[in-house]
Amino acid sequence: MQISWLQAAILGLFACLCSNSCMAGQAIGNYTIGRPLVGGLVCGIVLGNIPLGIACGVATQLVYIALVTPGGTVAADVRAISYIGIPLAMVAITSRGLNPMGTDAANMAKSLATLVGTVGSVLFYAVAFMNLIWQAFGWKDIQKGKLDRLYAVDFGWPWLSHLVFSFLPTLLMTHFGAQAVTALRDALPMDGIPMKTLFTVGAMLPCVGIAILLRQIINKALDFIPFLVGFTLAASLHLNLVSITIISLLFAAIMYEIEMAKGSNNGGSATVSASETIIDDDDEEDI
Amino acid sequence: MDVKKKKISHKTLSKSFNLWFWGALTCFSQEHMQTFGYLCSMLPIIKELYPNDNETQQKNIQAYTAFFNTNPMLGSVIIGTTASLEEARANGAGIDGQTINDMRAGLMGPIAGIGDSLIDGTLIPILLGIALGMSRNGSPVGAIFYIIVWDLIAYFGQRFLYFRGYKLGDQAVGFLVGKQGKAVRRAIGIVGGMVVGGVLATWVNVTTSLQLKDTTGHVFLNLQNQLDGIFPGILTVIVTLFCWWLMAKKHVSAIWTMIILIGVALVGVVLGVFNPGLKY
Repeated sequence: MQISWLQAAILGLFACLCSNSCMAGQAIGNYTIGRPLVGGLVCGIVLGNIPLGIACGVATQLVYIALVTPGGTVAADVRAISYIGIPLAMVAITSRGLNPMGTDAANMAKSLATLVGTVGSVLFYAVAFMNLIWQAFGWKDIQKGKLDRLYAVDFGWPWLSHLVFSFLPTLLMTHFGAQAVTALRDALPMDGIPMKTLFTVGAMLPCVGIAILLRQIINKALDFIPFLVGFTLAASLHLNLVSITIISLLFAAIMYEIEMAKGSNNGGSATVSASETIIDDDDEEDI
Repeated sequence: MDVKKKKISHKTLSKSFNLWFWGALTCFSQEHMQTFGYLCSMLPIIKELYPNDNETQQKNIQAYTAFFNTNPMLGSVIIGTTASLEEARANGAGIDGQTINDMRAGLMGPIAGIGDSLIDGTLIPILLGIALGMSRNGSPVGAIFYIIVWDLIAYFGQRFLYFRGYKLGDQAVGFLVGKQGKAVRRAIGIVGGMVVGGVLATWVNVTTSLQLKDTTGHVFLNLQNQLDGIFPGILTVIVTLFCWWLMAKKHVSAIWTMIILIGVALVGVVLGVFNPGLKY
């Protein structure tokens, strides 16, 4: 499988739209176009193999099920995962002749996309850095009272940052990267230690994504119980996620009633000061 | 003095909201984060409240040049709130830029924390978990489901919060950081925990290939079967808790956790504990 210049350019455009500084708005750009599941669909359409694209997207999505960027720190970059990593994984899977729906293909996609995504976080910081130039324009405009120019600062100029650090890297890496991935096929046999390690890591990587979610949910040892109950429902009882969500609503309703009942004896001091409820979201590094 | 009360039109509020929705982070930098998104979404409001008065416009927009960063989804409630404060200021309510700024600064932390755990930590994993199930066989249905459902929730949810913030002014956030809000968050935390557990068990499967054989080649210990006899999927849970322990307790970054996993996998492959068993 090769990736033509035109295909690479379309992928580059999507990379601009979805990057963390979100040319298409946070909800549409980062949270929709940037999710690997959606990226898999887009890559599948662009490269003309939707099932393979979706399969890669599904596999990769797991690793990044919790893609949070608190304080603007990123450990992985969605434009690189979804629009460089997934296309390259599709090429690798096709050139190695793996079954697209199989576990091996999924683990390959996970490893490759994660690697690219982690390295790609450089692009995130590069765009943010270049935006400082446009922001400097913005401060001058406010000084001069030319407030209408602020729209250009927020919506126009950042496209230049993305042209340099989103469009071009995606264009070049998907076009030439596909050839490199195909060439690597002969250098690294499937039963050698590097490839075995790659696939094993691929199977483990989603654990990191889940662990990041856990870090948000778990404050004390007792908080592990809902997590383990959910795991048991799926692993031992083989319930699907909708069923688990519905069961969890029961516990949530009980918890809500208990919490509401707790405070009602002490005179209903309804306004809690904001400082009490500040949730610790220091600039930790998350993916 | 009988001055007609200034009122921001619905059209302008809509415009302000849409500017936030589409532009909250477009000119992101580590230094100012969402400041320019905020400036742009307040611009139509300031322009309408002080028409043809460039000097006041310029003076009032200064309040929004301060650093701002929060969860952009729930954060729209703050934008709506400042819109209503700005309207009160234009009507001479004795609010100054400093008051507005203090309120913004005090809210962005809690809202970021709540938003990140509710939206990124609970809602999106549930939606994605369901979507992944639909797309399991390479079908695009799951991805399309996610696109439609998430974007409808995100757009109308944020719009609702924005107008709620405008309507209630600085009381609007009382719900989110107050007692009822706390109870809701605790309850949703349970849903989040169980769903995350379910996602892990459904989608992740770490297995060992370690087998011990006696001299005749008869397998007398198949570690994976033994482990599954204790608790199905126990190895997956162990690896996840190990990652959690590294990051939460040892403050190892996500990237280093991944590198440590590569080390674990390499050693495991060499020792024969892990073997994906691949061939061409």
